[in-house]
Amino acid sequence: MTSGWRHRGFSYVIVVPFSVLLAFPFFWMAVTSFKPEAQVYDPTKVWSFHPTLANYGFLFHHTGYLRWLRNSSFVGVVVVLITLVVAVPAGYALARLSGRVGRTMGVAIFLTYLVPPTLLFLPLSRVIAKLGLDDRLWALILVYPSFTVPFAIWLLMGFFKAVPQELEDAALMDGCSRLGALVRIVLPVSLPGLITVVIFTFSLVINEFVYAITFISSSTNRTVTVGVPTDLIRGDLFNWPGIMAAILLPSIPLALVYNAFLNRFITGFTGGAFR
Amino acid sequence: MPDTAGQPPEAQGRITRRELLKKAGAGAIGLGVAGSAAPFSFAGPLRYQGRWLKGDLSIIQWVHFVPAYDDWFDNTWVKQWGQANDVQVKVEHINNTLLDTRAAAEVAAQSGHDLFFNLHPMASYEDQVINHASIIHEVERKVGKYGALAKSSTFNPKTNKYFAVSDNYVPDPVIWRHDLWNGIGESPATWDHVAKAAPKLKASGHPIGIGQSQELDSNMALIAFLMCFGGFIQDEENRPTLYTKSTVDAVKFMANLFKTGEDSGIFGWNPASNNNYLYSGTGSMILNAISATRTPEAQHLPFSDNLWIWPIPAGPHGRIGLEHVMGCYSIWKFAQNKENAERFLADMCIHGKDATIASQLYNFPSFPGAFPFQDIRKAAAADTHKPSGKYSILTTIAEKYTHNIGYPGTTNAAIDEIFSKYLIPQMFAQVSQGKLSAQDSVRDTMSVAKGIYAKWRKRGKI
Repeated sequence: MTSGWRHRGFSYVIVVPFSVLLAFPFFWMAVTSFKPEAQVYDPTKVWSFHPTLANYGFLFHHTGYLRWLRNSSFVGVVVVLITLVVAVPAGYALARLSGRVGRTMGVAIFLTYLVPPTLLFLPLSRVIAKLGLDDRLWALILVYPSFTVPFAIWLLMGFFKAVPQELEDAALMDGCSRLGALVRIVLPVSLPGLITVVIFTFSLVINEFVYAITFISSSTNRTVTVGVPTDLIRGDLFNWPGIMAAILLPSIPLALVYNAFLNRFITGFTGGAFR
Repeated sequence: MPDTAGQPPEAQGRITRRELLKKAGAGAIGLGVAGSAAPFSFAGPLRYQGRWLKGDLSIIQWVHFVPAYDDWFDNTWVKQWGQANDVQVKVEHINNTLLDTRAAAEVAAQSGHDLFFNLHPMASYEDQVINHASIIHEVERKVGKYGALAKSSTFNPKTNKYFAVSDNYVPDPVIWRHDLWNGIGESPATWDHVAKAAPKLKASGHPIGIGQSQELDSNMALIAFLMCFGGFIQDEENRPTLYTKSTVDAVKFMANLFKTGEDSGIFGWNPASNNNYLYSGTGSMILNAISATRTPEAQHLPFSDNLWIWPIPAGPHGRIGLEHVMGCYSIWKFAQNKENAERFLADMCIHGKDATIASQLYNFPSFPGAFPFQDIRKAAAADTHKPSGKYSILTTIAEKYTHNIGYPGTTNAAIDEIFSKYLIPQMFAQVSQGKLSAQDSVRDTMSVAKGIYAKWRKRGKI
C-alpha cells in the first residue's frame, strides 16, 4: 500500500508540472482570445479584464477564417488519402524486401523527408508554374505528399515488419492472393500504424507554411496557416486576441482526435519497437 | 435504473473510438467533398459578368500597417481604376515579412504577378525586371521630379536602369515617452542625451528599445544610428567603407547603451517588438514609423498623449536617418500584362496624395509634387491627437533627415544583400553580447561586405 502510494506520488510529481507546462500555452491562448485588444498590452489587466467575444466575431465576420479552415481541411483530407494509397503498398513492399536493398531503399526514402521545404520551394515553384497550378489548392495537394509519403512509408515499413510473416503465409496457403493477404490480414493488424499515419499526415499538412505561402496568394484559396499571419498581422501590429482565437479553434478538435486515438497512436509509434 | 455494465459502449449510449473514427472520417470526407464542390476553392474571383475586358492585372503587395489604406486601395482606388481602364485587377496582400520569399519563388518559376510590391528596393533582381524609366518620366511630366530619395533607391547609375518605381516611403522618427523622460529631466535630442538618460530610465523600469536582431526594424535603426556616428556601409561611389574608427566607436557606444539602458530582449527583437514594448508601458523610446503611435491613439492607451515624435537623435556626425520602409513596385520581365502594370503604376504615383491621406500620413509620396510638403504639413497640423501638432514634424524628418539605404551612395545589389542578410545588426549584437570586440566585429563584417561587393561588381551591377 505504502509502496503503491509512493509510486503514484512519484508519478504525480513528474506528471503534474509537465502537464501544467504543456497546457499553459493553451490556457494562455484561451485567456487572451477573450481579452479586449486594448487590454492585451495592459500589465494591470493580466487576469482582471472584461471578457469579450468580439475577437471571435471579428474572425468570423471580417476575415475569411471559415474558408481558410475549409481549405485546410480539404487539402488535409485529400493528402491523407493520397499518402495512404501510396505509402501502404510501398511500406509493405519495402518491409518484405529482405536484405540490403530493402534497408537501403527505406533509408533513402526517409532521407528525402529530411530535405527542408525552405530549399525545395524554389525548384518546385517552377514545376507548379509549368503545370499551371499557381494559386490553386491542387498545387498544395501535389506538393505535400513529397514530405508526407516518405514519413508514412518509413513509419508503416517498421510496422509491417513487426507483423509475423507466418500470418501471411497461412493466408497464402489458404488461397489468398498477396494483395488479399495484405488487405485481409496485414492491414487490420496494422490499424494503429495506419491511424498514426492519418493523424500525423493531417497534422503536418495543417501546420505547413512555406509551400502554402509560396504557392497560394489569393485570399479565397488561403489555408489557416497563411490566412492568420496575413490578415491578423499588419506589419508590426499583431492582433493578438484574434490570432489566439484563430489558433485555439482548430487545436481543440485536433486535441480531441489525438485523445480519442491516444492508445493506438502510441502503439503506432512504439509497435515496431516492442513487438 | 437499468444495468448497463455488461453491455457494449454503443448500448450504453457512449461512443466508441471506432465509431468516433468512422464519424470523423465521414465528416472529413464530407468536408472535403463540399470543399471540392465549391468553385472558389480552385478558381479566382469571378470576372465581371457579361463584359469583355481589355486585359487583366495582378498585383501582390503587403498588408499595410494602416488598415484604412488597404480599404481605400482595394475598394476605392483599384475598383475605380479598373473600371476606368476596363481592366480586371486582382490584388493579393501578404504579410511584409513574406514578400522576399514570394519574390524568390516568382523569379524561380519565371511566373507570377504583374506588379510586385516590396518594402525595400529589390536591386538584386535587376536582371529580372523591366527598365521602369518610361513610367517615371511619364509621372514626372504630370507631377514633377522624382524625389532624390526615391531615385537613389531605385536607379542604378552603372547600368542606367530604374529597377523599380517607388510610389511612397515612410519617415522613421524616434517615438518616446515624454512623461518618463521629463521625469528625469532629459529628452532624446542627441545620442549623448540618450546614453545619459538610459540608466535612469532602465532603473525606473522603462528601458530603451532599439533592436539588435535579424529583422527590419533593427536593420533600419542600427544603420541610421551608425550614420549619425559617421559610419557608412559605402561611399558616394558605392565602394565599401565600413571599417573605420567611426563605425568602431558607434558599435562600442551601442554596446554600452545596451549594458546600461536596455535589456536582452533586443536580441530577440521582431517587427512587433517595438510596438509591444511601447504598448505594454515598458519602453521609453523606440525608433519606428507612426504605426507605433496610431494604435495607442485608436485604443486609447493611457499614455498615448505622452508619445512624442522627434527626428533621430544627433550623433557626432549629425542627424542622419533612413526611411523606415521604401515602398517599391517592380514589373517582372516575365509579367503577362506589362502595359496594364505600367499604366496602373503611373496613375498610382500621379495620385500620390490620395494614398498619403488614405494611409493617415504613414506613406509619403516619392514624387513630392504629387502632394507637396507644405500641403502634407497642413494635413498633419489638422490631426487632433495630443500633443497638438505632433505629426507636423514628420515633414521635417522627411525633408531633412531621411536618406536611402546605402547613403551616401545609391541602393544597389550589394546593399540589398547586406541588408537582407542582416549583417549590420549582427555586427552590433556580437559586441553587445560580448562575443567579439568592436574592432573584430567591424573588421569581420567588412570582410564579408567586400566579398559581396566583389561579387556584384563582377556581375556588372556596381
